[in-house]
Amino acid sequence: MSSLQDTVNPQDASSYDSAAGVHRREAVVYPAARGEPKLWSLGGTLAFGVLMITGFLILVLWNGIATFWPKPIAVVTLADGKIVAGEQTREELFKPTADQLAKLTPQLRAVIAKDDGYATRRLYRTGNFDFYGDDSKWVADYDVAKVDYPRDMVLAERREWGPFVGRLKAVVLDGVERPVTDPSEGWVRDALGQAQARLAQIRKLERDEIGGINHKLEQERLALRRVLLKSGADSAAYGEAQAKFAAREAELKKQYEALSAEAQALKGRNERDRIILTEVGGAEKSLPLSVIVRAYDANDIGLGAKLAVYGSRWAEFLTDEPREANTEGGVMPAIFGTFAMTVLLSLIVAPFGVLTALYLREYAKQGRIVAFVRISVNNLAGVPSIVYGVFGLGFFAYILGGSIDRLFFPEYLPNPTFGTGGLLWAALTLAIMTVPVVIVATEEALAAVPRSMREGSLACGASKWQTIRMIVLPRAMPGIMTGLILAMARGAGEVAPLMLVGVVKLAPELPIDGYFPFVHLERSFMHLGFHIFDVGFQSRNSEAGKPMVFVTTLLLIALIAIMNATAITIRNRLKKKFAGSQF
Amino acid sequence: MTATTESTGSAKPMRRRDKSTRKSVILADKAADTIIRVGGLGVILAVFGIMAYLVSVVVPLLGGGDVTDRIEHAMPAGHGPAVFEQVDDYRTMIAALSPDGAISVVHIATGTPLAAPTFDFAGGTVTTIGHTIANGDVAFGFADGKVRFGRLGFEAKILPANAVPAGLRGLDDHDLTDGKSVFRKVPGGQVRQLSLVATLDPAVEVSPGNAIRAIDLRIGGTVERPTRAFVTLDAVGGIKLSLSESRQNMMTGKVTLSTQSSTLPPLAGDLTGAQVLLTQKADQVYVAEKGGRIHRFDTRDFQKPLLAETVRLLAAGVELTKLGFLIGEQSLVAGGSDGSVSVFFRLPRDGVQSTDGRAMVLAHKLDPQKNAIVGIAPSQRSRLFVTADAGGGIWLRHSTSEQVLLKLRLPEGAGLITGLSLSPREDAIIAVTDHGRYYGFGIQAPHPETTWKSIFGKVWYEGYDAPNYTWQSSSGNDSFEPKLSLIPLIFGTIKAAFYSLLFAVPIAIGAAIYTSEFVHPRVRAVVKPTMEMMASLPSVVLGFIAALILAPIVETWISAVILAFIALPLGLLIAAHLWQMVPLATAMRYGGLPKFLLMFVAVLVSGVVAYALGPWFERLIFAGDLKAWAAGQIGSDVPFMALILTPIGFIAAAWVLDRFAPTLFKAGGRSHDRLTLAVQDVLRWGVLLVLGFLVALALAGILTAVGITARGGIVDTYVQRNTLVVGFAMGFAVIPIVYTIAEDALNAVPEHLRAASLGCGASPWQTAIWVILPTAASGVFAAVMVGLGRAVGETMIVVMAAGNTPVLEWNLFSGLRALSANIAVELPEAVKDSTLFRMLFLAALVLFVMTFVINTISEIVRQRFRKRAAQL
Repeated sequence: MSSLQDTVNPQDASSYDSAAGVHRREAVVYPAARGEPKLWSLGGTLAFGVLMITGFLILVLWNGIATFWPKPIAVVTLADGKIVAGEQTREELFKPTADQLAKLTPQLRAVIAKDDGYATRRLYRTGNFDFYGDDSKWVADYDVAKVDYPRDMVLAERREWGPFVGRLKAVVLDGVERPVTDPSEGWVRDALGQAQARLAQIRKLERDEIGGINHKLEQERLALRRVLLKSGADSAAYGEAQAKFAAREAELKKQYEALSAEAQALKGRNERDRIILTEVGGAEKSLPLSVIVRAYDANDIGLGAKLAVYGSRWAEFLTDEPREANTEGGVMPAIFGTFAMTVLLSLIVAPFGVLTALYLREYAKQGRIVAFVRISVNNLAGVPSIVYGVFGLGFFAYILGGSIDRLFFPEYLPNPTFGTGGLLWAALTLAIMTVPVVIVATEEALAAVPRSMREGSLACGASKWQTIRMIVLPRAMPGIMTGLILAMARGAGEVAPLMLVGVVKLAPELPIDGYFPFVHLERSFMHLGFHIFDVGFQSRNSEAGKPMVFVTTLLLIALIAIMNATAITIRNRLKKKFAGSQF
Repeated sequence: MTATTESTGSAKPMRRRDKSTRKSVILADKAADTIIRVGGLGVILAVFGIMAYLVSVVVPLLGGGDVTDRIEHAMPAGHGPAVFEQVDDYRTMIAALSPDGAISVVHIATGTPLAAPTFDFAGGTVTTIGHTIANGDVAFGFADGKVRFGRLGFEAKILPANAVPAGLRGLDDHDLTDGKSVFRKVPGGQVRQLSLVATLDPAVEVSPGNAIRAIDLRIGGTVERPTRAFVTLDAVGGIKLSLSESRQNMMTGKVTLSTQSSTLPPLAGDLTGAQVLLTQKADQVYVAEKGGRIHRFDTRDFQKPLLAETVRLLAAGVELTKLGFLIGEQSLVAGGSDGSVSVFFRLPRDGVQSTDGRAMVLAHKLDPQKNAIVGIAPSQRSRLFVTADAGGGIWLRHSTSEQVLLKLRLPEGAGLITGLSLSPREDAIIAVTDHGRYYGFGIQAPHPETTWKSIFGKVWYEGYDAPNYTWQSSSGNDSFEPKLSLIPLIFGTIKAAFYSLLFAVPIAIGAAIYTSEFVHPRVRAVVKPTMEMMASLPSVVLGFIAALILAPIVETWISAVILAFIALPLGLLIAAHLWQMVPLATAMRYGGLPKFLLMFVAVLVSGVVAYALGPWFERLIFAGDLKAWAAGQIGSDVPFMALILTPIGFIAAAWVLDRFAPTLFKAGGRSHDRLTLAVQDVLRWGVLLVLGFLVALALAGILTAVGITARGGIVDTYVQRNTLVVGFAMGFAVIPIVYTIAEDALNAVPEHLRAASLGCGASPWQTAIWVILPTAASGVFAAVMVGLGRAVGETMIVVMAAGNTPVLEWNLFSGLRALSANIAVELPEAVKDSTLFRMLFLAALVLFVMTFVINTISEIVRQRFRKRAAQL
């Protein structure tokens, strides 16, 4: 073809090898054909996408990991003589308002004007909410006269009012005041440890033992009410039950009083050990030692001590209960709630999802109806989660739960038992939501099992169920597990439907405890995802809660990432296991 | 069926093997069969049950009212026709008042008369009665020009079971009486005692000698110092507004009543049979002539009342037979002699002939009844009211939704309705006729405010200028009317989905094409899972980051962010043109991963440039302050318009150039030098860009001059949590889904097509765009639809980052309230089975249907694509 062209238009050739008498065309690709700019646009979108996700992950990781690291305490002297002390949390550029600018000197104004009207400001976490009415403060750089890091600054985390930033003045032990400035001194730490141990003991007394008595009392009361509902107020049985109840109540009350006195004694002891702190402005605060969670001299500790603080904060976060409207303390109940909900969800979703897929693939006659059902199942995977939440609230909690209450728990009414959001309903709702994921995955896995294996099994005389159980299901297991774990991951990260069917910001009791029947499916629970929403958006000030939210976010993402990674690992391992056994 | 058969060929006798299948196997098989079938079908049914359930909750919203029971009894004999009657909260008793002061009290269910006091008018003849909507406060006008006030109400007391007096007789299944009060058992082992309270105050002289023809009153002030405002019309046409305050002497306990009056400007016209109405604050007085004219007085200044306007409410020739307020007193209901019922609002209007700039505006014209309207009874808690006509028809209506919920009719010969009331809990209508009978209808109208039209159409709410779409479900105010139009929420959902797809789809599809066609499989193996990782990020995390981290950053750097939308593509194009100048050998050698990494660099550099040039850009385009500019306070529209029109200008310029000077920058096309070609290309591109911008500038100038601007449309007042932030955050949720599905579709295009195209000499770019993409188009479309479905249903991101204001504007810088967010925010607080509860279920149903349609389309398209791909 090229020779034909050449004969038609010999001058057109770019080069002509006269010696060989052969035309050699150079490979020219015009820019428009190569489409380099368009290629770069496409590649740019991919790069942008990858940058988005990596940037996001780095942001979450960095903030999540750095949050608990003890930062130095800066003491900032402002131009007007005021002193601000606190950890610097972040800095940003901002545009000072006209009012703010008007107060500045002309030189400063000129500097700001040169920077397009922007100036830098830093956010200091000043703590001392009880003194300042706020726990962080923005300081513009142009206002700052001097920044120091005095070695005696102490950060004390408290059970109430958030952290205290200031200096340690003295520790009072059983009424005897001993001046001290370094909270890491041995005897101070010992005293703190003892106070905390006493506090733990008080909590144990109050929650476990007194709680146990209250639980028993409540059970007695309900038993009495059951008799009342069953045999009426005038019956002999009720009179008898009443007398029994009175005796029991008196007995429990006595126990309660003994325990309560014991707790009171410990509390009195804790009141006598105090710590005296001074804020940078000079104001003094005397607190019971037991209120202090931990205290350290932030500007004077070495790496080892910092690591210890960091570690103890993580430990507290993972194992303790939340404090201060969830903005401090730990998230143990939320971790527990998320875990319990996810396990329950998978217990529900696995059998039903697999059953449905088995039915669709192995039992139902393949035809129009099954094709339609399949489209619908795919479709349902795309239905918004909130719709399932609405369904769960209306159908499970109100209709099913309401009926259960009337039938089985009339003595609790009008307080709902199952007739409101709870763990069971949340798990059921999310199960319905995630069942399409399992169905689709299982069906695909079932379809991938070669027909020859089934036929071989049947030909050997196995029944249909035997074939499915022995041959098909084991081979489909990797796919089923993947689907199940993906469903769990989706369920664990979902918040919107849970807001309707049982998640609360603070659950007084865990869904599993030491009282019969031990697993309380009707209880509302805490959830990591909802914790993020609650602390970030509904707490007193979102600034105080932000560190907590970041750490919780990190935890949730890590949880989901682990689940996804497990799914992939299991799939790969099982695939390998069955790879050799294919016919 | 599974019994094994064994050939026994040999003649030798063998031990027979048991050929039957073990029972347990058969049993297990059968059990599995049943369980799997039942379980499978059950799950499918459950899944479809969701929709059925949602529909079942929503359906009552559109229902009208029901009559639960009817009763008819005679009033106790010996009383004149009742002119005023009251029903208690529990619709147990009815108290009817005759003009002579006699009160008849009847137990509704049985018609048993109960003992009641009589108002002693001391020989006065009552000429007119006025009363408040709730609470039973009543005013009497007398023929001698005096006025007396009273109260005909009920008092409910909860008694412990043992405090009930002995000797009660039973009325019916649950009611007992001592002759005066009615006792009923309530939950908790207690008893409720319901008794009539009838009080009458001493007379007040208002217009001596002239009979009072019409009167209306309102009670205000505090419990300790009640004030009473009343307006009277006397026989000679004098209209007086009076305020009376009762003060109790602390020492003596004596109550003194001080009354001051103000005479309203006299009216010309026939005032016989006229009605008067007064507002709660006593700042408006309405006098309605029987002829149909209505005079409105502005009495905000008590000393100097003004006649604000005189209007004719009804058509000419139609008499105004009944006029009344609805609760909240913003709606005036007028019933005509032709049976018409209309609702009027007093609204500010430009250029009206009234002293206060307001006018009576016909807001709702309701279905007319057959006969003249003789009674109007408003509800004490909503915009529900009852109208009765002269023919005995009683209609239960709702003003805002304009619907008739119930049409009741009294039996033939029941007589003319003289008293009509709707019970305080909207559960009964009682009508008293001049034949001395009363008729009670137990009714149920749980959702009167919702109709198809009120949910999806424009509705004229009280106090609003015109009909519109509004969502406002709750307020602290008692007389508040919930405004439940789903349109703002659906709009919010669509707005969020539209803007987020606008951002996400180009990125997702571009990235998918590049991943599928232009990167090495090993790079793909890293990049694809990275992008997919985005999909598993919980949306609550995205919402948190968007609202608390991103929104403040975007607010500070808004001009840089907008610049980035220009700088990123521009930077990539510049980089591409630079790459074209690289010698071929180098380009080939580094064409793989290094080139891809250079794209990262280009994106990052463009980002940094956008950040650095942000303030400059703001000065150039947005007059130095984007927020003030967006709010329309400063600057001109032209630069920004030119900017968004530049792509159009570019395309136009390219088209013109190709058509009229195709060889302009291809003159060197004869040259085969790569660098020359590259330089020509960049020149061409640069010239087109400049030309395109100039065209856009001209176009922007013209459009701005004719009034088509971006401000007030897609950009307007800036708020921190806005659609821009939502779109970006939603991008994280949508991009990976669209990306994965689109990439799979592109990848599924058979390799031989690719090979054939490349073999024919097409470049990879040409192959990708002209061969692969068209083949995979349906799959890519399905990907976009799935992304749309996700964007529509996304909840937490919009709850957290969208500000949740239900506005109907496309403004990129304002928030929105999506269906999903609205459900999440309001459903936990909604009372079960209330209208709001059902409306939120409807919102869920709408969401369900929206996503179902979107997903079905995408599923069908995808299946078609699979079939096509398999055939290739």
